Amino acid sequence: MVRDLIIESTALTKSYGPHVALDSLDIKIFQGATGLLGPNGAGKSTFLKTMLGLIQLTSGEGKVLGFDIRTQGDQIRQRIGYMPEYDALNPGMEAIHQVRYSGELIGMNPNIALQRAHQALEYVGLGEQRYRQVSTFSTGMKQATKLACALIHDPALIIADEPSNGLDALARNFMLNTLETTVKLGNRSVLMASHLMDDVERVCDNIVLLHKGKLAAQGKIEDLKAIDREVEIHVWGAASKMEEALSDGGMNVRREGRIMRIGHTGDETYNQILQTAANVGSQVRRMHDHEASLEDLFLVIMERLGHEVKSSDDLLGGV
Amino acid sequence: MSDVPAAEISVEPPFTPAEAKEESFGADTPVTGQTKMQAAWSADSGDTDSSAQVASMNEGQIFEQIYQPWSGTLNPRWMRNWAILRHHVLGIFKKGHRPWNVPTKLFIFFVIIASMTDVAMALLFGMIGDTTLYDIWGVSRDNMYGHVMGFFPRNILYYPIVAALLVGGMISEDRSHGTSAMYFSRPINRFDYAAMKFLSVALILIFIINGTLALYYFVDILVMGKGWAWIIDTFPMFIATFICGILLSVTYTSIGLSLSSVSRGRFFPAIGLIAILMGTRSMAAIIDGLFDKSVLYVISPYDAVAHVCQAMIGTEMTYDHPWVWSLISVVVMNGLALYLLANRVSSLEVTRE
Repeated sequence: MVRDLIIESTALTKSYGPHVALDSLDIKIFQGATGLLGPNGAGKSTFLKTMLGLIQLTSGEGKVLGFDIRTQGDQIRQRIGYMPEYDALNPGMEAIHQVRYSGELIGMNPNIALQRAHQALEYVGLGEQRYRQVSTFSTGMKQATKLACALIHDPALIIADEPSNGLDALARNFMLNTLETTVKLGNRSVLMASHLMDDVERVCDNIVLLHKGKLAAQGKIEDLKAIDREVEIHVWGAASKMEEALSDGGMNVRREGRIMRIGHTGDETYNQILQTAANVGSQVRRMHDHEASLEDLFLVIMERLGHEVKSSDDLLGGV
Repeated sequence: MSDVPAAEISVEPPFTPAEAKEESFGADTPVTGQTKMQAAWSADSGDTDSSAQVASMNEGQIFEQIYQPWSGTLNPRWMRNWAILRHHVLGIFKKGHRPWNVPTKLFIFFVIIASMTDVAMALLFGMIGDTTLYDIWGVSRDNMYGHVMGFFPRNILYYPIVAALLVGGMISEDRSHGTSAMYFSRPINRFDYAAMKFLSVALILIFIINGTLALYYFVDILVMGKGWAWIIDTFPMFIATFICGILLSVTYTSIGLSLSSVSRGRFFPAIGLIAILMGTRSMAAIIDGLFDKSVLYVISPYDAVAHVCQAMIGTEMTYDHPWVWSLISVVVMNGLALYLLANRVSSLEVTRE
């Protein structure tokens, strides 16, 4: 199936004086759900602002939904629903009027905006709460209201900046379900910036990974996971000898107790492992391909970039 | 004809009727229905288990999340700007728009009533036919100037305080609540945003100052049965005063909004505006009293506008320096305030504030 290209950039560069925030990005994002990842300071916010047509590029070009980000920012923002990471709601307004007003700011007729606000709030699960003031809402309800504001005009692309930020398990689950439904049943596209790898993995099929303003990786998550393929074994006896022998044999080994993960270099890897086990007198009680998570993938990419990241939690610490 | 005997055809209802039942659940209960979800997202402390009416059916859910597309047309730029203007102005009178607080609404109501004291007095003495008192309160050059530019009580208790209450959170609250993102992630540019905010405040002030001025003038015509000669004679004065009202409103608005744009709360812009208006005037008055030099009044926004208005309306000048200096001062003050406003509005963020 040929999917539509919704975001495309060629040599996109944005500098603030000597600081290069985005460095010659060549990005292609197709219809569907895409996760935008990267440590703090990687350029995610700058990238989102350029996609909204809000800042002037230093060089390069880009298109969103076929519109030029340098000259057609208004058209782009009419077709995008942006859900900001931080509070963007007037606490003194009722949810229904907040969402209606956000529709009017897009250019919707007030009556139609009101009608759509009812539908959007119903969709995000706030149907019965729509006449409550935003100040009385929990964090989850505020996030849902922001999503309703983004969805009111049925945008072709929803940019969700940390949509599950500060949500408890139930609200997070509902938020992610809603985004999934919007993509799969609503046939809309979502560009989701998040620090939470599990969330991105659940909603998105594709990722774009930025690092220090440069494109570190982009593509389908499944394809990218192949760069971090490992075989996991559970050994019994002589585990240290086994680890040493595998390392001496030129294999990449990570060990935690009896469990080892060995870099998959080809089909011969399985035989090499079994042969080594036989040589050192260790029992391999279980052997299977390890399914890497997005977090594993992220760590591998960062490692290759020479970036000192131990876990996705480090991303939140301003590395 | 079918070979199946009629008795063997099973007739089943298309679905099992749902029966309502009370269900309690805790934090780890999966969210499968709308009411459960709402209970899960409720704003209570979370210490108590919520309950919700859910269907007894195992199949299906009460809350079916259906994405509803919309394919309407979007209005052009001027309609978006109209929405911003309406949002702010209608909030004074109606729910569903910008939530102005009750003290602001009450004070505006009080000022509108208080600004009409000259209307009431002119009406009263015109109707009872007391010419001496009517001459004091009726429409005249000085009285029209006084309606707009009179210092006490109008430009110390009424208009500056209304302006301060209006501009207080106008931009600063967009910064503190993050609602600037709601504007700039939509096809609203910075100029339209600032211009509509400016117009919203200025229109409310103009409605109060010039609306009551127009009422004063036209009530006098109607009650006293003024003829065309009187109207032709006084109408230029009325227009000049009307323009003065606009100048005063614009000056208060531009200074107030510029203060609002550099702040994150509503207190600083409000108190800052009053401090600038009263502080500069007090200082100029002290210098004038000590050294008999009125030139320092050019730094007082109120006095600069008042001086220009005296020249426009043709009342007796109360300042010694040329009125053109005051005009230049008004232009410079507005220019600086608008420059600051534009500069700060351009710094409002979309992704984070």
